[in-house]
Amino acid sequence: MNQENSVRISISNTIRSIALNTFREAVRDRVLYNLVVFVLLITACAIFLGDLTAGQEPRVIVNLGLSAMLIFGAFISIFVGVSLVSKEIEKRTVFAIFAKPIGRGEFIVGKYLGLCLTLLINVLVMGIGVSLALWYVEGGALVGSIWGTIVLIFLQLTILTAVAILFSSFSSPALSALLAFFVFVIGNFSASLKDLATHLGSSGAKIFFGIIYYLLPNLAHFSFITNAANNETPPAAMLGGAFLYAVVYNIILISLTVLIFSRRNFK
Amino acid sequence: MKQTIICIALIVGGFAAVFGLSNYLEANKPPLPDNYVDGDLAFQGKKMRGFVFGAEGLLADLYWMQALQYIGTKALNSKTKVDIENLKPLNPRLLYPYLDNATDLDPKFTAVYFYGSIVLPAVDSEQAIKFTEKGIRDNPENWLLYQHLGYIYWKLGDYQKAAEVYEQGTKISGAAPFLKLMAGKMRSDGGSRDTSRLLYRQMYEEAKDEALKNNALRWLLKLDADDEMDAIRHALENFKKQNNRCVNSLTEILPQLRSVKLPNNNQFRLDKSNNLLDTTNAPYLLDKENCDVKIDYDRSQLPKVLTK
Repeated sequence: MNQENSVRISISNTIRSIALNTFREAVRDRVLYNLVVFVLLITACAIFLGDLTAGQEPRVIVNLGLSAMLIFGAFISIFVGVSLVSKEIEKRTVFAIFAKPIGRGEFIVGKYLGLCLTLLINVLVMGIGVSLALWYVEGGALVGSIWGTIVLIFLQLTILTAVAILFSSFSSPALSALLAFFVFVIGNFSASLKDLATHLGSSGAKIFFGIIYYLLPNLAHFSFITNAANNETPPAAMLGGAFLYAVVYNIILISLTVLIFSRRNFK
Repeated sequence: MKQTIICIALIVGGFAAVFGLSNYLEANKPPLPDNYVDGDLAFQGKKMRGFVFGAEGLLADLYWMQALQYIGTKALNSKTKVDIENLKPLNPRLLYPYLDNATDLDPKFTAVYFYGSIVLPAVDSEQAIKFTEKGIRDNPENWLLYQHLGYIYWKLGDYQKAAEVYEQGTKISGAAPFLKLMAGKMRSDGGSRDTSRLLYRQMYEEAKDEALKNNALRWLLKLDADDEMDAIRHALENFKKQNNRCVNSLTEILPQLRSVKLPNNNQFRLDKSNNLLDTTNAPYLLDKENCDVKIDYDRSQLPKVLTK
């Protein structure tokens, strides 16, 4: 029993070390520099939008800030996500890592959590930036409504990261990035896929699009930016459901990645 | 070192040339025909919904800003003085599609509906009604939209319809008592100056947009000017009866006007040369031929269309 516990502690320590190293690597690779661009964008909006929006600066800041948060985050998820594994393989550092008592599963989970931590810091700083901009333009009333949406954006990004890592576990970085981008696009248009499946005449097509709808992540579940700009907060049922959906989907994707990566030959 | 200096000189010189060339090209580019500039919108908000990665609100904001820029540019480029009550000469045919797209993308963007309900009547009353009714469908709990729709019908002189709309608005929880008052006023004396004053005062107090606030204020000033002109006309009439001629200048009736009590404790304004000034401090004009007083619209900030 004690032996089992010590193995568990060792696994969690390994994952934590890999995750922290992934985070440090992202910081070293200047991934967080996107925050500078974001802060400049939000500051410029807060200062210059007054005349253009006829008193609607707060909602424009929310829409622009949260949309930029999603797009910047999606780029980081996709481009950093696909390079996490491939970089280690290309540089041959993967051999040094696996020479130590580190399992392939721990490696993938650690890498994934490390990038999620990077995204969390990114999203938090951006959220604070948007909140400060809102206070500056006297839109403080909207500050409370944006944080629920920021949580949803972060959950969406964790799924996208898992998708990127999954593709990178068996494909080249360029193709992985392209495929992950497609999933991001299709995932956001999921509602239309369901409509298409309902309206199509042939039962074969209905089944095909129905399968795609449930197989691919439905990222539209995490979309609440427009509502946030109208001072609405996501209801607890939506937040809870989205959290569970993200956790379940991430477990599926990471398990699949571990399964593929465990069988991969690095030679 | 020498190479660095040459490079910096080339970069600085290059940018200076680019600056000059850009201005030259801009000045020499033939203008686009009006119908090209006002080309129909490529996208319909309704069809974009669900395909913009959750950024419908951001696109709605862009269409909103475009609408403001569009009407603003048209007004700035206009060769004649812009009459805010009649924007048809500007041919702002894309204003409605811009506002419609913005609200298709974000139906809860009520500021667009408020703006449309005040500006669109100056372009096309039917579009204004259609647009505000759409706002009510999308935001049935917002009583302010009923107030704006009532305002459009009141502008059209359809006091019965305006009263009905105001009454519908009173049924919404949290509706201001003002709606009930207006419903009654529309039925009893919809076209009176008193009703107009009530409406514009309410609009002035509620408007968040500076342009809309200014518009309401100008109308309130216009109503005050109408009161002043009534008193001036009365004094002119009396003078003509007594002297069998019209005054040579409005200063001749100043003694009579001093005893006049204007509504809301308002006072007549005079400049240093004792010229009677309107509520925006532009001198009134004397129409000697008809022995009448007029607003000098070239100098005054008052809106042009006369109210009852």
